[in-house]
Amino acid sequence: MIEVNHVSKEFVSPKKYPGLKGAIKGLLSNEKVTKVAVDDISFKINDGEIVGYIGSNGAGKSTTIKMMTGILNPTKGECLVNGVNPSKKRMDNAKNIGVVFGQRTQLWWDLPLSESFTILKEIYDVSDEEYKERMSFLNDVLGLAEFFDRPVRTLSLGQRMRADLGASLIHNPKVLYLDEPTIGLDLVVKDKIRDAIKEINERYNTTVILTTHDIGDIEELCSRIIIIDQGKKIYDGTLDKLKRTYGTCKKVSMAVKHIDRIESIDWSVITGKADSVVLEKDDEGKKVTLNFDNNDIEVSDIIHAAMEVTMVKDIEIIETELADIVKEIYNHGL
Amino acid sequence: MKKFFKVYLPFTANELKRNLTYKGAFYLFIFCSLFGTFINYFLWMAIYGSSSSATLGGLTRQEMVVYVFMSYVTAALSMIGISDNVSEDVVEGTVAMNLIKPIDYRLSLVFMAMGNVIYRFFAPCILVWIGLEVYKVQVLGLGITPISNIVLYLISVFFSFMIYVLFDFCFGMIAFFTTYIFGMLMAKDALLSFLTGQLIPLSFFPEVIQRVFDFLPFSSMVYAPTMIYLGKYSGNELMFVLFRQLVWVVILYVLGSLIWKRVTKRLVVLGG
Repeated sequence: MIEVNHVSKEFVSPKKYPGLKGAIKGLLSNEKVTKVAVDDISFKINDGEIVGYIGSNGAGKSTTIKMMTGILNPTKGECLVNGVNPSKKRMDNAKNIGVVFGQRTQLWWDLPLSESFTILKEIYDVSDEEYKERMSFLNDVLGLAEFFDRPVRTLSLGQRMRADLGASLIHNPKVLYLDEPTIGLDLVVKDKIRDAIKEINERYNTTVILTTHDIGDIEELCSRIIIIDQGKKIYDGTLDKLKRTYGTCKKVSMAVKHIDRIESIDWSVITGKADSVVLEKDDEGKKVTLNFDNNDIEVSDIIHAAMEVTMVKDIEIIETELADIVKEIYNHGL
Repeated sequence: MKKFFKVYLPFTANELKRNLTYKGAFYLFIFCSLFGTFINYFLWMAIYGSSSSATLGGLTRQEMVVYVFMSYVTAALSMIGISDNVSEDVVEGTVAMNLIKPIDYRLSLVFMAMGNVIYRFFAPCILVWIGLEVYKVQVLGLGITPISNIVLYLISVFFSFMIYVLFDFCFGMIAFFTTYIFGMLMAKDALLSFLTGQLIPLSFFPEVIQRVFDFLPFSSMVYAPTMIYLGKYSGNELMFVLFRQLVWVVILYVLGSLIWKRVTKRLVVLGG
């Protein structure tokens, strides 16, 4: 179980001024700027959960992950990973976690991949039997065998990422942190990585914490998501709930005979509110799109009302996608 | 204990393999440093040739030949920089990848440096060393260096290596505060070639300055082992020199631990 209690992280850096003049001024001044990267975040994650930790660039995702792994010390508050405080007992904590930073590698750049795995085996003190079992499993799900003997620097990004994920799992960690594991990967490799994460989670009941900008990752993997924005937690709950709560805006697009008749419908009679249904026409004047909130009016009512006044040739119902919800949240907050 | 070596020895093996991968850089290093040593040699021979006294700074002409080449061997074996690794790790943010593993960052660097020691021992140190001994017997007409001196020398070199690496770790910590330390690395190398006795034997300096050097760790890095090889110390003095090296190992180890603790408190990981 992971507990994060009122954790904050501030970065203090010298103040910089623009231009050459500013650079000289910067040399002489002693002003400091404090940036709050993470602001009083708390949450609990149970064993075996897959949690998506999302937020826009610079929201503080990676900083939180780094605090949970023990790389950074929180300015305030504390994390507990299975009862261990990572910032106090980094080494103890490190034995039980696996980490993948999508933009970096933990493998030895100049050595064949197989060597990296042998070193990691020693570092984490994995027995020969366990190692064999784990390797055959990782081979199945990640297909490491095809490039196992090649130096890491010659691997493609996709291969390297698979190798990195494998390397983080060699000691069967209880918790797996993935910081943008699918960044820059093609669709096939993405699928492979996702399947591997799912299978590891099911087979070993590994807790997975995942930051990503890929909506597909979230939809396929995460049962629960935490959204942070400017260092603050703004949402924590299931994916379904997020969709139900914030994805209520729907669209009905219809091809009709007489658009003007649709336009003249007084929706406030049904919804009891003015302007609850917004109407858009396409350029040719054949199609009409109605935007509305599912809480105000049902789709069936819209269609019913339209069919009463004119002939409807075609209907399309468009639901809000998760990507739109997330975009909306990043732009405006909740 | 066995487990300890099992965990950290791969770092040594790695560095060896890495060195074998990037051969060009290594031969360039040998060439450049040997070149400087030979200039040093000819310079000293000219100085002795034009001097009226047979000994300078307590060293005879023959001893100076040994000093010049053995100080080269000593420096090559013991002065293995790790601060550039630290600085690189900080600048590129890879230090994070070291911290997610259950290993001690400093120890992994020390063992890595050990890989360099082994490589440098075979190329070129042992060759220079053997060449020097042959030259001593054939040309200078001296006897071969006694085994006891060689054993004591090797012990002393090991201490030198530890002193240098632990010192360099502390030095590398500056990178956490300034991010970039290339300029400082250059300054450090220039200053150390003086303070360690690599350029000029420390016995050439005035008495007062030599006393100051006694209180600095640098004289233990190159000067002390080379003088042991020359058999310039005996009895209590020898014990004292080795003991002083050991004390520096302990002091720098503790200092490094303290700095590391402070640094990790305010660590900033760059990029992503």
